[in-house]
Amino acid sequence: MERILKVEHMEKYYGTRGNVTKAVDDIGFEVGKGEFVGIMGASGSGKTTLLNCLSTIDTVTAGHIYLEGTDITSLKPGRLSRFRRTKLGFIFQDFNLLDTLTAYENIALALTIAKTPPLEIDVRVRQVARALEIEEILPKYPYEISGGQKQRVACARAIVTKPALILADEPTGSLDSKSSRMLLESLEALNGDLQATILMVTHDAFTASYCRRILFLRDGKIFNEIVRGQDTRKQFFGRIIEVQTLMGGENGDVL
Amino acid sequence: MFFKLVLKNASKSVKDYLVYFLTLMFGVCLFYLFNSIDAQTVMLKIDESQKEILKTLVKVVGYVSVFISVILGFLVVYANGFLMKRRKKELGIYMTLGMPKRKISAVIIFETFLIGLLSLAAGIAAGIFLAQGMSAVTAKLFEADLSQFVFTFSKDAFWKTLVYFGVMFLVVVAFNTLSVSRLKLIDLLSAGRRNQRLRIGRLWVSVVIFLVSVGCLAASYHLIETNGMIQFTPEFAASLALGSVGTLLFFLSLSGFLLRVVQSNQKLYFKNLNMFVLRQFNSKINTTFVSVSVICIMLLITIGTLSTGMGISNALSKDLRQSTPYDVSFSAYVGDGVQRKSSNIEQNLKKSGINLADWADRYAQINFYVSDFTYGAFFQKSDWPKELGNFDHSAGATRVNAVSLSDFNKVRKMRGEPPVSLKQDQYGVSCTIDSLLSLYEKNRKTGKKISFGGKSLVPAAAEKAVLMNGYGSFGDVIVPDALLRGRTSVTTILNLNYKPGVNGEAFLKKVKAIHLSAPEQPYDFYDSKAELCARSVGYKVMVSYLALYIGLVFLIAAAAVLALQQLSESSDNAERYGLLRKLGAEEKMVNRALLAQIALYFLLPLSLAIVHSAVGIDVANRVITDVGNMDVLGNIVMTAVIVLAVYGAYFLATYLGSKSMIRQKNLYRRTE
Repeated sequence: MERILKVEHMEKYYGTRGNVTKAVDDIGFEVGKGEFVGIMGASGSGKTTLLNCLSTIDTVTAGHIYLEGTDITSLKPGRLSRFRRTKLGFIFQDFNLLDTLTAYENIALALTIAKTPPLEIDVRVRQVARALEIEEILPKYPYEISGGQKQRVACARAIVTKPALILADEPTGSLDSKSSRMLLESLEALNGDLQATILMVTHDAFTASYCRRILFLRDGKIFNEIVRGQDTRKQFFGRIIEVQTLMGGENGDVL
Repeated sequence: MFFKLVLKNASKSVKDYLVYFLTLMFGVCLFYLFNSIDAQTVMLKIDESQKEILKTLVKVVGYVSVFISVILGFLVVYANGFLMKRRKKELGIYMTLGMPKRKISAVIIFETFLIGLLSLAAGIAAGIFLAQGMSAVTAKLFEADLSQFVFTFSKDAFWKTLVYFGVMFLVVVAFNTLSVSRLKLIDLLSAGRRNQRLRIGRLWVSVVIFLVSVGCLAASYHLIETNGMIQFTPEFAASLALGSVGTLLFFLSLSGFLLRVVQSNQKLYFKNLNMFVLRQFNSKINTTFVSVSVICIMLLITIGTLSTGMGISNALSKDLRQSTPYDVSFSAYVGDGVQRKSSNIEQNLKKSGINLADWADRYAQINFYVSDFTYGAFFQKSDWPKELGNFDHSAGATRVNAVSLSDFNKVRKMRGEPPVSLKQDQYGVSCTIDSLLSLYEKNRKTGKKISFGGKSLVPAAAEKAVLMNGYGSFGDVIVPDALLRGRTSVTTILNLNYKPGVNGEAFLKKVKAIHLSAPEQPYDFYDSKAELCARSVGYKVMVSYLALYIGLVFLIAAAAVLALQQLSESSDNAERYGLLRKLGAEEKMVNRALLAQIALYFLLPLSLAIVHSAVGIDVANRVITDVGNMDVLGNIVMTAVIVLAVYGAYFLATYLGSKSMIRQKNLYRRTE
């Protein structure tokens, strides 16, 4: 399997000498092409920090992150934006759609930023909209569509530039359970049909159960890793809960 | 503790307040500067007529200041409202911490007071400083001697500024207290979250409205062109109304129209962040089109007053050389209610002991006779130039004056011009207005006859001549001397030029003394070149100072409102720009989008104001051309320099402020 992402001894410290918080403490893992990896952890476990570093909107204190062979920790700021728009796709918890743009334009925005030839834009937006079944809502504004639809538009925006890696930060965090399920099925489809590589951060076991592999973070370290393998989603969900209980048990703050 | 809070707040929000503070300071400075003209000019050695004009100027500035203070008052209240809105979250935190509203109000009042005091102090200091420069400029304009520098300070202007701005701040305090008392905690804390519903209308509607607005504006321009800005007719009122409505509709629909046009060109729409910029612009216009329209009108007033105000004053002084060819012109009238028996000024003066030959190098007396026809004898109502006013009420109802050929030639001789000659059946015309001269020329070609004293005359060439200082005429008919024999002249004019070395002032002093003491006044009034020049300089100063005062205040008010709007908008948009960056937009691209957005807001009202004023200046110019020639280009260049400098400075400050604002919300830290 081709390797897309490789994280080596990554560390991220906050604070000054004498009062250092190790948000991410010597983490290393790899993600292969076409994988759907989840990162789980409680608040403060360092998962958001990790995601920010991966998405190049934060810098690491030590270690290296390679994406398709490029060490993004040594990229100059000028190259970073170029890197972001060509290699990465983002899905945020609160959708982050521009309310002044229609769904269509929100998707097209990612392409215009990537300087895609204007004539190609329409074709690609419609293609990705078809895949995510949001063709009917394309001319609508974000305030006219539901949360689930918004998040699927955000997905479309993330995937339309054909990025090497899609980073999803609590994508179901603002959705009800039905919308969550639809969204996750969409992500599963993107992963299965379009071979999109997805790294998803979540603290919700149900959401995580759609992943193929899960890394558990605690206090900035990788605590555990489980692979779905041939399990059904229900079985995998049970295993996730087990790990969570184990983590909580050791912590003593979960009953 | 509260004091500390206030100081910390004020120093922390210095960036937010900077534009507001500078505008306020500038306003105070202008207010003091123009209200202290009285004190600035008190030591100038200028003549009586100029002193009179200065007194008028001071009075007019006083009236205008009331109006100006209303404008500035609106600006202050508006700006303050903006700043309050930006601090809702902070106030919410105070409230959650249990600070009573009374105390929050106290904090706000104290802050307003602090900022007000600082801007007042700085503004007055700047005003006092600039007043010294202005008094030097005034002295120079009056060509008055300013050999010794006198430091001027106007107590009146100082107190007036304090009182006017004090009242403004009281109003602001009242507004703020009111808005604090109305605050609801839930609104305050969620103020950061924008749950503003966007209402984006259908695009074709805006295209239709845009076309309607262009129609309104075109109709308005057409009406003002035909009206000529001479009289307040229904046409004029309709033009103003249509212009205002057109401007409003224009800005209401422009963004939608632009969007529609650009959308039809995919290449352009999907290029860089064009889509984003246009959508941003379009989303806000529904709430801002009224203020943008008002700003457009304010800019129109600025451009209009600056360019035509200066233009009028230049036209007045330039025209002077042409319209006052003689050192002194006397005039005397004989008729009902006048004791004078003879209108022969030369003899009247001689009787009183003044021999003109002692003083004058050349002099000539002209007798005016009243004919028995009006200007209807020369012109069709339909040919009459509009800018000269209603034909029926002026020229059509006025009897034409007649002068004899020999009198007319006396004037020509005095000016060193060869005499003209008329045949016994010919009449000539002396006129001062160019547009009419060409009509007289047409009459000559068609041989338009008139009947004078029962005799039919054919036209000879019309002459452009100024028969006395400051004389303007639709035309006086020149007839052979024989036709006037036996008639009594109603008005007599005497023009004279001094002998070299004669002290004109002494002469006029003597003449004036006689005028007041003699039982029979030798003349009715006189116009001396020296006095007219002095007065004209006075008018020039008056008109240009008023134009500057009004123009500058409107300009800073308009620019400040735009700047505050855009700054507050940018801080609201910080998250959107943050998203663009997350999606991989380069810094350059983001900055360009920001620049485009701000530039749209600054340039659009200015552009329409320029178009409006181009039409206005064109019409005004035609009016003024009849009085004198206006140096259009020079005024426009000067106006452009002032507008661009001030407006440009605000634009730059807004862009730089916004840039730092959208960068402040750091990408590297989550904003939630």
